[in-house]
Amino acid sequence: MSSAAVVERLTEIWGTPETAWGWFSTVDHKKIGKRYLVTAFLFLVIGGIEAALLRLQLARADQSLLSPEAYNQIFTMHGMTMIFWYASPILSGFANYLIPLMAGARDMAFPRVNAFTYWSFLLSGILLYVSAFMGQSPHAGWFAYAPYTTLKYSPGYGMDFYCLALVFLTISTTAGAINFIVTIFRLRAPGMAISRMPLFFYSTMTVSFVIIASLPALTAACTFLELDRRWHTHFFDLAGNGNPILWQQLFWFFGHPWVYVVFLPATGMVSMILPVFCRRPIVGYPYVAISTILTGVVGFGVWVHHMFAVGMTQMAMSFFSAGSMTISIFTTVQVFAWIATLWKGRPVLTAAMHFVLGFIGLLVIGGLSGVFTAIIPADWQVHDTYFVVAHLHYVLVGANMFPVFAAFYYWLPKITGRMMNEPLGKWSFWIMFIGFNLGFFPMHISGLNGMPRRIYTYPSGLGLDGVNMLSTIGAYILAVGILLSIINLFHSLRYGRLAGKNPWNADTLEWDTESPPAPYGSIHIPTVVSRHPLWDEHDETYDPTGERILDQGRLTLATSALDAIPNAISRMPEDTIAPLLLALAMFVFFIALVFQAMWLSLAGVIAIFFVACYWLWPEAEIARAAP
Amino acid sequence: MSTFTLPVATPPSMGRPLPALPFEVDRGRNAMWLVIATEAFLFISLFFSYFYLAQNKGRWQHNEPPKLMLAIIMLVVLFASSVVLHWGEKQVKKGNTAAGRIALIGTLILGIAFFVIQIYEYMDHWHSLTPFTDAYGSIFYAITSFHALHLIVGLLILAYVLVLPHYRPTDESPYLPYTVASMYWHFVDLIWFFIVGILYIGPH
Repeated sequence: MSSAAVVERLTEIWGTPETAWGWFSTVDHKKIGKRYLVTAFLFLVIGGIEAALLRLQLARADQSLLSPEAYNQIFTMHGMTMIFWYASPILSGFANYLIPLMAGARDMAFPRVNAFTYWSFLLSGILLYVSAFMGQSPHAGWFAYAPYTTLKYSPGYGMDFYCLALVFLTISTTAGAINFIVTIFRLRAPGMAISRMPLFFYSTMTVSFVIIASLPALTAACTFLELDRRWHTHFFDLAGNGNPILWQQLFWFFGHPWVYVVFLPATGMVSMILPVFCRRPIVGYPYVAISTILTGVVGFGVWVHHMFAVGMTQMAMSFFSAGSMTISIFTTVQVFAWIATLWKGRPVLTAAMHFVLGFIGLLVIGGLSGVFTAIIPADWQVHDTYFVVAHLHYVLVGANMFPVFAAFYYWLPKITGRMMNEPLGKWSFWIMFIGFNLGFFPMHISGLNGMPRRIYTYPSGLGLDGVNMLSTIGAYILAVGILLSIINLFHSLRYGRLAGKNPWNADTLEWDTESPPAPYGSIHIPTVVSRHPLWDEHDETYDPTGERILDQGRLTLATSALDAIPNAISRMPEDTIAPLLLALAMFVFFIALVFQAMWLSLAGVIAIFFVACYWLWPEAEIARAAP
Repeated sequence: MSTFTLPVATPPSMGRPLPALPFEVDRGRNAMWLVIATEAFLFISLFFSYFYLAQNKGRWQHNEPPKLMLAIIMLVVLFASSVVLHWGEKQVKKGNTAAGRIALIGTLILGIAFFVIQIYEYMDHWHSLTPFTDAYGSIFYAITSFHALHLIVGLLILAYVLVLPHYRPTDESPYLPYTVASMYWHFVDLIWFFIVGILYIGPH
């Protein structure tokens, strides 16, 4: 077969028609990845607008722009949107788009599940925002401590939306985690042994296991809360021998590992980007990989540091304090590996590299203030003050948003096929960096001066006026910086220079595909002999007999988990509407539960059952072409 | 390119020539292991809550512990269902699909029997304890009904496997649904062991 005929055939097999049906039924990981990125970015913008409102209210003392209740709802929605519907999904977006390409596979291990995770992520976000249109959003902060969240103190539907939207999202996130794990373990290119995997695989794999182990605690907590609110049980009700602290235990058993879920894949992306722009392999690859895994493991031993102010035995607190300080060691290992790579390499200061360097600086500041809060006496001083707000924003914005922007500048040429504008990107970085520090550094001071978090206003003359005005100005400067990058994206879509296959001379397999990649990825499933496939002498696509074209249907290679020796051929499903239908049925189920419309929720359950049957019905076997 | 000379290893070992490779049949099992792992953590959270709430003994000491008899019978029923299902899975792997279907029907009957006994047990229990009595009632019914929900899901999955048109004993998606469904069912059974140990035998 000629090469043009092969391309045509593969495109026919893997392509999705550009129709409404194709749009709703596609299972292409690249399309789903792009949707994840766009949707999560929209949530970032929504959460950012909420933050802008909050900062406007706090700009000066004694303002009454927002009522206390509105303020509470907005800061809660800001936290939930950013932590649950932006920070983790945006990383899932990158992982969805990039992992099959980096692994040389044609799609994720479960393409239909992948489509389902996207639709349910989107619909759970919509479910959460239905509450905003009713004016009854959750109002108890993103960690929603009982008993304030019980029906007595939080009437209305706000906290019901909180519980059920989160349970819906955990289903989506867990399904996604399972998909990533199986993909990483089973679909790597021949020769990509675990000692040669891109570091992004290590971080995504680690957080996927963390998700599997930690999210059930959130599900249990939200279920208990919903039962307490609407079905008269007594889990968190002291009068019924319940215990409100149970909420905190369950929530933080989930909540602290979640911090690493939104952090580790970002460091994984940095470990991919930074070596390319240092023009050398990363220093200490095995140490970075191991410390990534250890961060995930030890992340389960630190949750109580969110609860030092609750009061518990000295022994328990010392243990968790030690755990919290230990975990900083693993992050430090990564930081030193990056610094050593910079030191030994020849850094090229592209826009992406600016964001990476900014990230390292912010991570160090956020990490140091984290050590403060891990030390019990210091934590008691700053607990529930703006110091904590400063710390968590340095960690989450510094260690999630800056790497995400670096990743956009680095991988968007692959995704869109066009280069971003570099000078504009650097302007965007500097404005964001200055705005961010101007906005959040003063919060350390307002916190140490005693300003509690989550208050809608403050009297003047307490030494808080200046720092708050600075924070507000900084927040708006940060917003301008983000806006510049959005403009940059739209500009590049139209006027950007064509990227070509590998504009950065990078080392990993995704850069060996077209930009944007064809529906099937690469024509020949690549083989790999080192950690840096495109930097070595081996030709990844050398395949004179064409046995790795696999054009007898939607097929890809399955390999062994450790050494990546091919051991089977995986069949991949065709496009189907079932994932969307399943997510819609779940949406009906959960929104009916919010309003206790039990018959409607029963209808949702029945719909879920029938859609699942339709989904799982065995299809006609794909005829295997003769070898 | 890079100024570094990277080691040029020999081309990767490809094992058998590709056209001789079988179709891959493990993904379903891989995913089911992970589903079971995350469900296990859900029950760990529930048991943790049980022990955590038990710190507030207060009323708990006055609660009489749940009766053992029915729970043990239910345990035997579930264990028997697992044995039957395991036997059926072996038969299907051997190619004896008719025996596999009979084993499925047996498992379904035992599962439904368990469910019926549980309803009876709930009705008996309800006189002294409801989920609305106190935190003990809440967590007791939460754990047992979470298990019951998983059992219902398991029954639906098994019933679905029963009506599947064919399970051919080749490596072409044959007994796979059968295996994956059994894994889930055995897991649900295993959880009942823990429930009997922690909720029923523990307080005695």
